[in-house]
Amino acid sequence: MATLNEKKTCSERMENFRRFVWNPETKLFMGRTLINWVWISLYYLAFYVVMTGLFALSIYSLMRTVNPYEPDYQDQLKSPGVTLRPDVYGDRGLQIYYNISENKTWERLVTTLQTFLTAYTPAAQHLNVNCTGDKYFIQDTFDGPNNTKLSCKFTSDMLQNCSGIADPTFGFPEGKPCFIIKMNRIIKFYPGNGTAPRVDCTYVGDESRPLEVDYYPVNGTFNLHYFPYYGKKAQPTYSNPLVAVKFLNITRNVELKIVCKIIGAGITFDNVHDPYEGKVEFKLKIED
Amino acid sequence: MKKEMDVDDHKLELPDLEAKYSTSITKGLVGAVAAERLLRDGPNELRPPRGTPECVKFGRQLAGGLQCLMWVAAAICLIAYGVQEGQGDRGSADNLYLAIALIAVVVVTGCFGYYQEFKSTNIIASFKNLVPQQATVIREGDKLQINANELVVGDLVEIKGGDRVPADIRIISAQGCKVDNSSLTGESEPQTRSPECTHDSPLETRNIAFFSTMCLEGTATGLVINTGDRTIIGRIASLASGVENEKTPIAIEIEHFVDIIAGLAIFFGATFFVVAMVIGYPFLRAMVFFMAIVVAYVPEGLLATVTVCLSLTAKRLARKNCVVKNLEAVETLGSTSVICSDKTGTLTQNRMTVAHLWFDNQIHTADTTEDQSGQSFDQSSETWTLLSRVVTLCNRAQFKSGQENVPVAKREVIGDASETALLKFAEVTVGTVSEARGRFPKVAELPFNSTNKFQLSVHTAGDRQLLVLKGAPERVLERCSTVMIKGQELPLDAQWREAFEGAYADLGGRGERVLGFCARWLPAGTVAAGTDPEALPEVAVGLCFAGLVAMIDPPRATVPRAVLKCRTAGIRVIMVTGDHPITAKAIAAAVGIISEGSETPEDVAARLRVPLEQVDPRQARARVVTGAELAGMEPGVLEGILRAHPEMVFARTSPQQKLVIVESCQRLGAIVAVTGDGVNDSPALKRADIGVAMGIAGSDAAKNAADMILLDDNFASIVTGVEQGRLIFDNLKKSIAYTLTKNIPELTPYLIYITASVPLPLGCITILFIELCTDIFPSVSLAYERAESDIMHLKPRNPRRDRLVNEPLAAYSYFQIGAIQSFAGFTDYFVAMAQEGWWPLLCLGLRPRWEDTHEQELQDSYGQQWTFEQRRYQQYTCYTVFFISIEMCQIADVLIRKTRRLSLLQQGLFRNHILVIAIVFQVSIGCFLCYCPGMPNIFNFMPIRFQWWFVPMPFGLLILIYDEIRKLGVRRHPGSQFPPAGVLCPPPGAL
Repeated sequence: MATLNEKKTCSERMENFRRFVWNPETKLFMGRTLINWVWISLYYLAFYVVMTGLFALSIYSLMRTVNPYEPDYQDQLKSPGVTLRPDVYGDRGLQIYYNISENKTWERLVTTLQTFLTAYTPAAQHLNVNCTGDKYFIQDTFDGPNNTKLSCKFTSDMLQNCSGIADPTFGFPEGKPCFIIKMNRIIKFYPGNGTAPRVDCTYVGDESRPLEVDYYPVNGTFNLHYFPYYGKKAQPTYSNPLVAVKFLNITRNVELKIVCKIIGAGITFDNVHDPYEGKVEFKLKIED
Repeated sequence: MKKEMDVDDHKLELPDLEAKYSTSITKGLVGAVAAERLLRDGPNELRPPRGTPECVKFGRQLAGGLQCLMWVAAAICLIAYGVQEGQGDRGSADNLYLAIALIAVVVVTGCFGYYQEFKSTNIIASFKNLVPQQATVIREGDKLQINANELVVGDLVEIKGGDRVPADIRIISAQGCKVDNSSLTGESEPQTRSPECTHDSPLETRNIAFFSTMCLEGTATGLVINTGDRTIIGRIASLASGVENEKTPIAIEIEHFVDIIAGLAIFFGATFFVVAMVIGYPFLRAMVFFMAIVVAYVPEGLLATVTVCLSLTAKRLARKNCVVKNLEAVETLGSTSVICSDKTGTLTQNRMTVAHLWFDNQIHTADTTEDQSGQSFDQSSETWTLLSRVVTLCNRAQFKSGQENVPVAKREVIGDASETALLKFAEVTVGTVSEARGRFPKVAELPFNSTNKFQLSVHTAGDRQLLVLKGAPERVLERCSTVMIKGQELPLDAQWREAFEGAYADLGGRGERVLGFCARWLPAGTVAAGTDPEALPEVAVGLCFAGLVAMIDPPRATVPRAVLKCRTAGIRVIMVTGDHPITAKAIAAAVGIISEGSETPEDVAARLRVPLEQVDPRQARARVVTGAELAGMEPGVLEGILRAHPEMVFARTSPQQKLVIVESCQRLGAIVAVTGDGVNDSPALKRADIGVAMGIAGSDAAKNAADMILLDDNFASIVTGVEQGRLIFDNLKKSIAYTLTKNIPELTPYLIYITASVPLPLGCITILFIELCTDIFPSVSLAYERAESDIMHLKPRNPRRDRLVNEPLAAYSYFQIGAIQSFAGFTDYFVAMAQEGWWPLLCLGLRPRWEDTHEQELQDSYGQQWTFEQRRYQQYTCYTVFFISIEMCQIADVLIRKTRRLSLLQQGLFRNHILVIAIVFQVSIGCFLCYCPGMPNIFNFMPIRFQWWFVPMPFGLLILIYDEIRKLGVRRHPGSQFPPAGVLCPPPGAL
């Protein structure tokens, strides 16, 4: 054992290492002759080229088999997520705090809303069609231009008082702010089972406490004719329908927890693991 | 060691002795003084060597090479956790879990190893004699029986045949007292003890009997001069604990392997640290990447695998009578290239047995097998009748009572070794000895003594008397005038004398102890009852010579085959014995240590009729070296001899010389296993790479010093151990290769995650599940794999060249099989992503937005919008899919690892049932993790689509085919490396 265990000093180790990197006697570079290294490199090159080729082939055939219009599975998209505008995140979720007397604090919220609604101007929506029927807009054929399907028009004026047209400040300075609720797109998702889903905002934990809310459009419904969504390729100009909520009796200088749920068959809002599924929660604090 | 013997009590006259110990040689000590001395000196017993404290033993289990690697990794994880926590990074808890898992693995396997060690220590402890030894002591003139551990210096004790000497005693009076000092000196000849001082050295003089030696016969009275640890044995035992333990070969292998792992880990980590910095990650982030990569390289499951594999083999060995004290010793045994074996009891049966008889001018062979299964000789001759009668009658040994149902060979006998052998021989061949003795009542007898060198007795036989005599053949012959041949009494002329001489020399040359037997019929009343024994020799003249009986301690039946197995396995067996060279050589030849046709230099000299000095050592394969020759050798000469003669026997050696022999073998680069039983063997046992103590004959000191204990004292068990050791080395190699492979598919997701910014394909908890849950059983099941070829036909591995993990193996596992597995994982990952809406090209660079917790409407390739949590579950789906891919490929991997050269079909796909069960188990665990409700939120496993199990299967098939091609190449072109491997790895010994 003694022969195996001999302790090497650092310099010996370094010398051994140098000798390993280039051994002038045996002409071995890192333990191999140069020609051997070339062969090995070529072998590995070939190996990885072949493997990459196989991989590329797999991905190519994968892409040939996936449906370009709709995904094969929607295992994680059972119920749509819900988002809020303006969306300012604090430490724990959405926090909308502003001070009425300090313009700056609410101006950027207003700007967010305005920017968001630019996608809903009549100009932006001009490619979409006007829909009137209060039922699902089912299209089995590609009736739109360039082999697409038609999308219904949603313009900001449908949000009435919260459209930013009459009141470009969305009620923020008055302490009666507008918020916009949007439901995420899921292909071939039929919300509400024939009844239009609607937004319902309450205080968190205390649903009996009256929260005075104006909903736009009326009743805070998402009209059924915006559904189902047929995907980016079929409906390139599709815009999510919106619901605006205007809170009328917000107590000043108090942090309020508000949740806006979407009520409708097929939309769940009780998933403890996903706070944004079927509902959106946020804290609101308006200071003087 | 002899220098330390400062004892001079043997030289003192009795009155001085009395004065020195203030005692009386007639009345012994006074009880009160004895009690006082007991209090002063402590009990008369060997303090168990200060065993390693239990906590240190446990600590050692936590501080091996792999364990250190894992401690470092755990520390890095904690640092990374701290850094990420400081940054307020979500998901940093993973690092904490990882650190906890790493520490848990080390601690759990440490407990496991400790438990194993503890269990085998218990087996060994159970061997200790639990019955307290009794001693006969004279105190205040009264004879008392007390526990031997209450003896004190100055006590007057009596010993008799069959007793163990209770302390170091100076003999005051003795009657035919003989002791067996073999446990002390290795000398197996009984030695006389008498009151006279015969030698200056206390070890050589006859008037001191040593603690723990056996009194074989006679009685003696003596004065206790040393007790407990101050006895000679006690001092030797404490010396032995001074010899340091060397590292085991497997520990060296694992260190070498850790070097490779650590090197590769740092290389990869550093590379990707640089890459991350170049890509533009912040420094801290890159640092965390670096740490994660280093940690990902640590094979968490390997420690458990190695421990379990070794303990499985240890268990298997225990069933075959080898108890391994230290798990790593299992493998050491497999690398053994030299075995230094004792003769008595290990190679031989440790019982004198009648081997040959000479009567009717012919040598007859007796049955020496342990179970009396051999052939017997022709017993029809009249001479045999006479000889057997002499053998039966002229024998003072007798069976202990109450053993009628015990096989003869196993019965206990009162009497010395030769008489025992003759008694048993007579019982087996003639029939009940006691009955024969009853028919011929004894009239008078003269016991054996060293002046006469014979023993005789006179028996009544009907109306005549029969005088029977046995003894040293030449002395017996002197008293004979006739010889019986085929029942005829013929005059003993020169021709018969010559025949006798020939037979005597022949049997003596076989290393056998030869006794002559003769008899004479006397008229009734020739010898009266109560005749003075000293007068008997006068009657014993003109006897009729009946025959010679030769006895030997015969080799165990299984040993020759075991020695042959060692020879084919390239292991040298060296016999080291305290016995006579001729006996040693005879036994060596009988068991094959000296093979047929091999000659010693003496044989060559005799054949060529040249002086010994002119013999070319190269002509002599074998050589017998005696202790005396060894003592006179210059340093280095022994190595030369060991190199020149492949077949070596050391005779008449002292246990100290055993140490010299072991060290010489080690200087020649051998890994040496040593067997031993005596106290004095313990330094050699410790010095050896693997010390093997005898379970039955071994002393506690030897057992303490040894790494392994043979419960049946049988040499063949060592060979079984070697075979198992080699198998486990081979199989560990396979297990490690299997375990290492998946390191790459576990690492590449992270590398791609860093460089291509895809959503993380494989999570940390999932990796832990692969390492510590699903893949443990298959990797352990490889330990059950049969040997690919006859491993006992290969040379012992060269510890400097044949490493456990060599670079080609690592490179092949990592850069070829591991690469294929990674491709399988990524294919499945991209399939799962694409089918859920995330096409491969979108995935690239997606990471920042994907991981943004504020992003609740991330669009996939179809325009659908995903919340963060929905994406997280999708990510878990990817983890699961990648996990399943690795599992599927690992099934292929475990199959290819079954063999290294043979085709899988040659080895048999289902021959290893444990492996099949392991694969089923692995798949079941996979299913359970995937489909058990609640898994997504506990362990981040998602119920994945059924078809994603099949995506990696073609890659598994590719692994099988690829490796079959490699094996075909290896078989077709042995010696060449196909395919070439080892790109990033230094050759052996470079670092």
